[in-house]
Amino acid sequence: MSGDHFLKTTVSRRTLLRGGAEVALGSALLTMLSAQTPALADSKKVIIGAFADGGLTPFKEKIIPLAKAQGFDIQFLEDEYGVTLEKWFADAKNGAGQYDLYLLDDPWVPQFGAANVLEDLGAAGVDASDKDWVGSLIDMGYWPPRQGPRVKGFESATPTLICIPFVGDLQTLTYRTDVYPDGPPATWDEVLAKGKAGVAAGKIKYPVVFRGVTGNPIVTSWYPIFLSYGGQFFDDKWNVTFNSPEGKASAEFFVGTLKQNTAQGVVEFDSDQEGAAILGGDAGAIIQYSGNAVKSDDPAASKVVGKLGFAVVPKQVSAIAQIGIFIAGVPKSAPNKANAIDFLKWYTSKETQAKLAEAGSIPVKRSAFAVSDPGNRLIPVALKQLDAGALPRPRTPDWAKVEEILGIQLNKALQAGSGGGAALDAAAAQVKDYLTQAGYYK
Amino acid sequence: MSGKVGRSGQERLQGAGLDLALPYLLLAPSVLIVLGVLVYPLWDGLRASTMAYRYGAATESVGLQNYVKLWSDPQFRNSLWVTVCFVSLSVAIETVLGFALALFCLREFSGIRLLRTVLIIPMVITPVVVAIVFRLIYASDVGMLTAFSQAMGGGAVQILGDPTNAFFGLVVLDVWEWTPLLFLILLAGLQSLPQEPFEAARVDGAGPWRTFVDLTLPMMRPVLAIAIVLRTIDAFGTFDQVFVLTHGGPGEATRLVSLYGYDTSFKFQETGYAAALFVTVGLVVLAFALAAVRLLRSVDQT
Repeated sequence: MSGDHFLKTTVSRRTLLRGGAEVALGSALLTMLSAQTPALADSKKVIIGAFADGGLTPFKEKIIPLAKAQGFDIQFLEDEYGVTLEKWFADAKNGAGQYDLYLLDDPWVPQFGAANVLEDLGAAGVDASDKDWVGSLIDMGYWPPRQGPRVKGFESATPTLICIPFVGDLQTLTYRTDVYPDGPPATWDEVLAKGKAGVAAGKIKYPVVFRGVTGNPIVTSWYPIFLSYGGQFFDDKWNVTFNSPEGKASAEFFVGTLKQNTAQGVVEFDSDQEGAAILGGDAGAIIQYSGNAVKSDDPAASKVVGKLGFAVVPKQVSAIAQIGIFIAGVPKSAPNKANAIDFLKWYTSKETQAKLAEAGSIPVKRSAFAVSDPGNRLIPVALKQLDAGALPRPRTPDWAKVEEILGIQLNKALQAGSGGGAALDAAAAQVKDYLTQAGYYK
Repeated sequence: MSGKVGRSGQERLQGAGLDLALPYLLLAPSVLIVLGVLVYPLWDGLRASTMAYRYGAATESVGLQNYVKLWSDPQFRNSLWVTVCFVSLSVAIETVLGFALALFCLREFSGIRLLRTVLIIPMVITPVVVAIVFRLIYASDVGMLTAFSQAMGGGAVQILGDPTNAFFGLVVLDVWEWTPLLFLILLAGLQSLPQEPFEAARVDGAGPWRTFVDLTLPMMRPVLAIAIVLRTIDAFGTFDQVFVLTHGGPGEATRLVSLYGYDTSFKFQETGYAAALFVTVGLVVLAFALAAVRLLRSVDQT
């Protein structure tokens, strides 16, 4: 048939309509077939959503292959931290069913819990009463929380286990052993005094480094200092107490004294810059999560291999760190829900947790801290910090907003290099307004 | 015979029915798509803007309260002001630069085609990639500007850590990326202008400046109006670059309204409030666009 003939062929209305109907029918059949195919093939498939973080590297490199050997077909989908909360919340809320497991940042648990979009893992057979769990970590998986204040509407609700700890991350101190040769600095005064001596000796460029970017980063860096000064964020009735005299003293110290002893561009520093500063040999000490700390002995990532030590955070009145664990939740819309729960049971077993510790990640079961050959020097220090004192952020679904308000004010004060106390007052007024509108005080 | 007549009559009737229905049937997919992707979301957005949301779900109707609350929200007012400043400055610079480049590239000389192609490259690069590159230029620790400054004996260059510098840094990024769009539209406009008036002006001895002011500019006014309106609408929606480059900081210095709306909706789960915010911003953009068109029309009529 020539092309000419084809062009001259007249298409009748009947042909057009019949063709349209055939295309529609064909598409519908194809859709039905494609919808059925995965169910047949993915008997132990588990789709895990995670945000990119060095703290998950041992899991990715060592535990996923073990899971595959156990018959789990793990699909690991990573996203940038800044977009995961909204992406997963939309997935769970709309029942899109794109994930079987979310590896959440623990402050997000209340938001997912209040929206009632995660499976009850206790009812699914996860044993939360096992004494081997690190108590402070398993507590973070409950909504509403078992301790502390509860938000409106959940005062009398029974706490339900909607998440379980996945990687036991928390802040610890990383310090240069050549700058602090007598051991880790126990107080902030010591951090600065010996750090300045290290700068004078040409060993480092500045005593400390931290994150100054507005929002979550700056609040995360300030928080352990706030805790070490004895600050309390909210009281039992959600009244704002972070602008107490202790809180203000910590903020003044943070935006004033610490800024004078860190990199010039700290206002724009996030975890990549602070990581580069400590691993590149510029900074004397840092309070950080495990993401960068686990790279300390890796010559490919660190210029100061063998010169970095780990310890509990310095104290002013106490040495309390912030807990910020990866915590796993199964959405109600998960396409492979049973597989995901089976995977979690296997992953949190004593044996797999021991493998996780050997791979270099902080486990969530106490027995795993005792492995003879932990994959990272940080692991025993993390347990020490957990026992010395470590607190999660307040358990409210509105934490993201609170953190945003506080982060903006702290960042402005950091730019100025002073006014930390006033920044907390301004933030406290805005937070109070917001919580009032949200019905916290009715 | 009668059977034959009956069949043809039936066919005629079917044909007439199809004749009547076919245009509607053919239009139906487009109408459904427009209803589904334009009208319904718009209506749903308006409906959401009158609702209160808690934990991701609508709880009650609040009428226009979300709109009222906007104007007492200092964060919204600040982000709207930052956006208006950003759009005004960026679009003004882009228009002037784009017009200058278009006038320059109107001439034919060796290599002009290559130059025109090179000039539109920034526009075709993904905005997120552009923002990452500019972050690597601006970063005070490992950035190119700091490296250059240190090589010249200076110190670290503070762009992203200083409110004013960060704002202008964002404007520079936008100008770099979007001047080519203005250049392209204005070049096309210039190339389509009739040549007779310019030849007559040349014969009358008019110089380049006089020709530009009395001929080029008035004749280009409609094209300029379209270019400015399109770019203004687009600039109001700037998101990717600021999300990657500064995430609104330092403080709130670069927190554009698109970013505040995004955070309000997706991070803070205040869906109704965010819907009211975006409806309001949409009206502001519409007002801007109408004002620009009216201004240019009124100048045209005088």
